[in-house]
Amino acid sequence: MMENREIQKVLPHRYPFLLVDRVIEIDPGKKAVGLKNLSGEEWFFQGHSFYPPSLLLESLAQVGGVVLGAKAREEDPNATVQGLFAGVSDFTFQRCPVRGEQIRLKMEVLQSLASIYKFSAEAFVGDEKIAGGQILLSFTRLAI
Amino acid sequence: MDRKKLEEIFHRLSHPFPALLIDRILETEPGKRIRTIKGVTANEFFLPGHFPGEPIMPGVMTLEGMIQSALLLLDELYSRGKVTAVLEKVGRLKFKKPVVPGDRVEFQVQLLSRNDPLYQFKGKALVEETAAAESDFTLKASIREVGFEL
Repeated sequence: MMENREIQKVLPHRYPFLLVDRVIEIDPGKKAVGLKNLSGEEWFFQGHSFYPPSLLLESLAQVGGVVLGAKAREEDPNATVQGLFAGVSDFTFQRCPVRGEQIRLKMEVLQSLASIYKFSAEAFVGDEKIAGGQILLSFTRLAI
Repeated sequence: MDRKKLEEIFHRLSHPFPALLIDRILETEPGKRIRTIKGVTANEFFLPGHFPGEPIMPGVMTLEGMIQSALLLLDELYSRGKVTAVLEKVGRLKFKKPVVPGDRVEFQVQLLSRNDPLYQFKGKALVEETAAAESDFTLKASIREVGFEL
């Protein structure tokens, strides 16, 4: 499990674009399950109360970033890495989560080719699957 | 089209996103395609967190710009009522090049097929004629009559 301050050691994202709160299960380099609470006056709740689908993609991608970042830190705590959102394929949205709900973000590496990692990505509220598909991340270690 | 008019359109669309990611419409061919532009500035509210000291336009915001352009096309198909559309599917999305402050992003969006309530689009985000992102996506539209608010 990783609390938010540990997530901030792995991800460069900060307010208002850190879109994962806690990681409840992690197998570095393979998979992780993250949580995102949708609460109160968050900036994306202007004039409505649901979480925009594009930001749900970003939340999932950030959990993927934790999966790869945690592995790189395990191997070399001083490693300088760069992770980038590379793409999405066959991703469908069943419904938008709303204020007050907690989203469970499940990411698992399906395959990797050079610096590109393909993840199976799924989002749940309780036991209900609300969205799913594949997300591609590019992840490289930078030479110092 | 000025910004105020654009904001009115998005109000009519009641699009569920807090940031307007289009500054101007360059050209539109009703029901077929649209070209819009967004100038990316260091003052975007989300850039301090993405990333501190290294501002890069989040890829999902580029996707959002394509979606908002698609919504403008969709709006023209309905003369009455309030159009609400949500993202139903992202068939393919590719980020090819980071977008940074100072870039002017041109969104080119084309309506591929219409099968009510599903609308399939193909979108591109160009910076100086080089593709920064490409996507195929589907929106699901619903109409609310004027004078009826949920």
